[in-house]
Amino acid sequence: MADTSKQSAQSLTRNVTSRSMKEMLVTHRGWINHILKQSFVDGPGNRAVVFLQGCNLHCLYCHNPYTLTLCNHCGLCVETCPSGALTLVDGQVIWDASLCTECDTCIHTCPNNSSPRVVSMSAAEVWGEIMPCSSFISGVTLSGGEPMLQVDFMIEFFTLVKKFSPLTTLIETNGFAGPEAYRPLLKTLDMTIIDLKDPDSQRYQALTGGGLLPTLETIRFLHGMGKLYTVQQVVAPGYTDSEASAAATASLLVDIDPQIRLKFLRFRPHGTSGQAETWASPSDEVMDQMVNAALQAGLKQVERSL
Amino acid sequence: MERQKTLELSPFMPFEDIEKGLTPDRLEEYQAFIRQVLYAKDSIYEQKRDTLAAAAVNTLPYPPVSPEARELIDTGSICLISEGAAPYHPRYVAPDYARLLRNGSSFLELPPAGDLFDATTSLLTAYKYVPCAGLPVFIGRLDELLEPYIDSVPADVARSILKHFWMLVDRFNPSAFVHANLGPRETITGRLLLDVDRELRTITNLTLRYDPEITSDDFALQAVRNALELTKPYFLNHRMMLADWGDDYAIASCYNSMRIGGGIYTLVRINLQEVARLSDGSEVDLLERVLPHVVAKASEVTASRVSFLVDDIQWFENNYWIDEGFLQREKFTAYTAIFGLAEAVNETLAHSGRPNLRYGHAPEANALADRIANRVGDLIRENPVPHCGGTSGHACYHAQVGISTDVGITPSSRVPSGEEPELYAHLLAEAPTHRQLLGGTSTILEFDQTAAANPRAVLDIIRGAHAQGTRNLSIGSANSEFVRVTGYLVRRSDLDAKVQEKASRYSSAALASGFMQTKPNHLHRRTRTV
Repeated sequence: MADTSKQSAQSLTRNVTSRSMKEMLVTHRGWINHILKQSFVDGPGNRAVVFLQGCNLHCLYCHNPYTLTLCNHCGLCVETCPSGALTLVDGQVIWDASLCTECDTCIHTCPNNSSPRVVSMSAAEVWGEIMPCSSFISGVTLSGGEPMLQVDFMIEFFTLVKKFSPLTTLIETNGFAGPEAYRPLLKTLDMTIIDLKDPDSQRYQALTGGGLLPTLETIRFLHGMGKLYTVQQVVAPGYTDSEASAAATASLLVDIDPQIRLKFLRFRPHGTSGQAETWASPSDEVMDQMVNAALQAGLKQVERSL
Repeated sequence: MERQKTLELSPFMPFEDIEKGLTPDRLEEYQAFIRQVLYAKDSIYEQKRDTLAAAAVNTLPYPPVSPEARELIDTGSICLISEGAAPYHPRYVAPDYARLLRNGSSFLELPPAGDLFDATTSLLTAYKYVPCAGLPVFIGRLDELLEPYIDSVPADVARSILKHFWMLVDRFNPSAFVHANLGPRETITGRLLLDVDRELRTITNLTLRYDPEITSDDFALQAVRNALELTKPYFLNHRMMLADWGDDYAIASCYNSMRIGGGIYTLVRINLQEVARLSDGSEVDLLERVLPHVVAKASEVTASRVSFLVDDIQWFENNYWIDEGFLQREKFTAYTAIFGLAEAVNETLAHSGRPNLRYGHAPEANALADRIANRVGDLIRENPVPHCGGTSGHACYHAQVGISTDVGITPSSRVPSGEEPELYAHLLAEAPTHRQLLGGTSTILEFDQTAAANPRAVLDIIRGAHAQGTRNLSIGSANSEFVRVTGYLVRRSDLDAKVQEKASRYSSAALASGFMQTKPNHLHRRTRTV
């Protein structure tokens, strides 16, 4: 499982690079899954969230697997779309937003963890979408997918945000890219939420297909730079739902700084695919035990989702 | 005769005759009405007494109006809302309580306040005598009033005094139309009152005068957390109010603005849905022919009622509230109010063959709502009303929340409950209609439980709304024990008791239950999932 995931992550990176190299190198366009103009759960205050397409990890419990890869234009979704919003033209799947009812049949049909509704947008176009609601929000969050796969776009976008507004900038990242990859962002990036996934490096590999070490280095680096908002971790049944796991996560963070904020997120089967669809949501008791175990391990600021 | 258990709620009592008053041929109807009040099982003594007093007044003829105005009253374009035939007191007053605490009152035999005990005792005494409709609809800027005395006792005693004060405000004046103001500055008193309100969970209405430059985030966030549980306080756009009124404004009753030391003689409201139906269906006819006529006639009705109160009753004479300076004649005005803007917009557009353009959703409909609402505001300023020195000699423009007998018509200038668009679109649609509504209005937002974990996000939305011209915001959550019916609060449990025909301490609950029977969609507002 882990090996397959790793391969798919590598092939994705290759895919992103080859498919969009021309566009991205020249204009720094981004592959955008969707833009949410109001979110209370993606950083401090009310935020607009841009979900970028593509992820290098392949978490078993991924809550939005349709953001994992770019469309390979196989055309299967064109056949199942009930509203005729998808057509195949010259081997390319074309999405007509005006006909789309957002019924999500396409992303359920897709065998490739993708979506035909992903669009390529310039940083200015994305800012143009968000700017009209800027008086109602504290800031902008880039999420995904894994936004670090589109660093150049992010830099360009955050530069626009900082130039034209007092909004704060935040990315939700898995930290895989390691400290140096984040350095060019520091000028325009205010905060990060880093998903630690699993404190055990072997289970981390099994759960996500990636490695834990770069993530820890990223946490240490960004915390040191004053750019770490919070570390989060999904409480996944069989992987990260034990008090030992909570204590291990806390210990890793205490080693960096006991003041780092940690938030446990409750796993929910909604939106998942594959084996995670049959997993149960952890109970309130389990969630509370996680928080208590992390506090006992010496971390000072621990919370959990509802 | 048949015993009816529930009082009918109607703007007019069944025996009334606007021109003649009670005539001998309607004596039986009159007696039947009186009996119905006496037999009512869902009202307590005070509520019955007030209704009986109103019935006595309503045996008189109404202040005279022209045949044109009368026709608009009869066809429902202009409504007189249960104020009674002969106004013998103002509808609302906002006494200058600071003066009371500073000087005391010889009539009420109250000394100047020396400490927190004195101050709260004097206020509670004054509330009992506030000369409007038996209810202190404005109970003061409590933080400003009490902060000078907050250090006169130890901190724990101060909290205890405020707690008992706040409890007595509710028990002595059990109504959601009793309204206290807080802010914009954070004070010890303000923080304590929010804290005590969260503990006691009374129905007393609250407004936070919010200014992001003056109000601390801590205080504002405490207010947001309260609002998500209690559906209060309101978040009032203090900067906008300051620009429109100057600093001496008060928020009373539902969300009604007036000058401190002043009041509102009467409220005459315009049913914009009915008014739109008087036009030939075109916007031009509505804005240029019908509205000027209706607003002129509404102003005439207002003037007639004001004149009765001021010139005939001579309300300002031999009145200790005036003599001692707690109220001042030149600060009074009257309301001309609107409701049913949504229906006026949607029906006008439907008439011109564009029924799919709906207020709240289509830019054309929102622009029309803006034009109608602000046209009325312009017209009100063009029609002088005597004795309205509080707002430069014309009536004050107000958005009325509706009464229980309004069926299928939307309060004030709002988008209908259940039809609200996406959050920002909702705020941006209604905000332009707030521009001239100095007399008060509000947009109502309900959030889901996620919001409680991120009150900062709600504050972001409040700030954005104010920046975009929203005058006043009601914030609540769908699972709160309180629901804001149209402008005032009601406990969901009181609502149930009322529907089951039991008595409630709160007369406002009676009004609300009438609402729920006719317009249950107030319980089905769009909840903002975040």
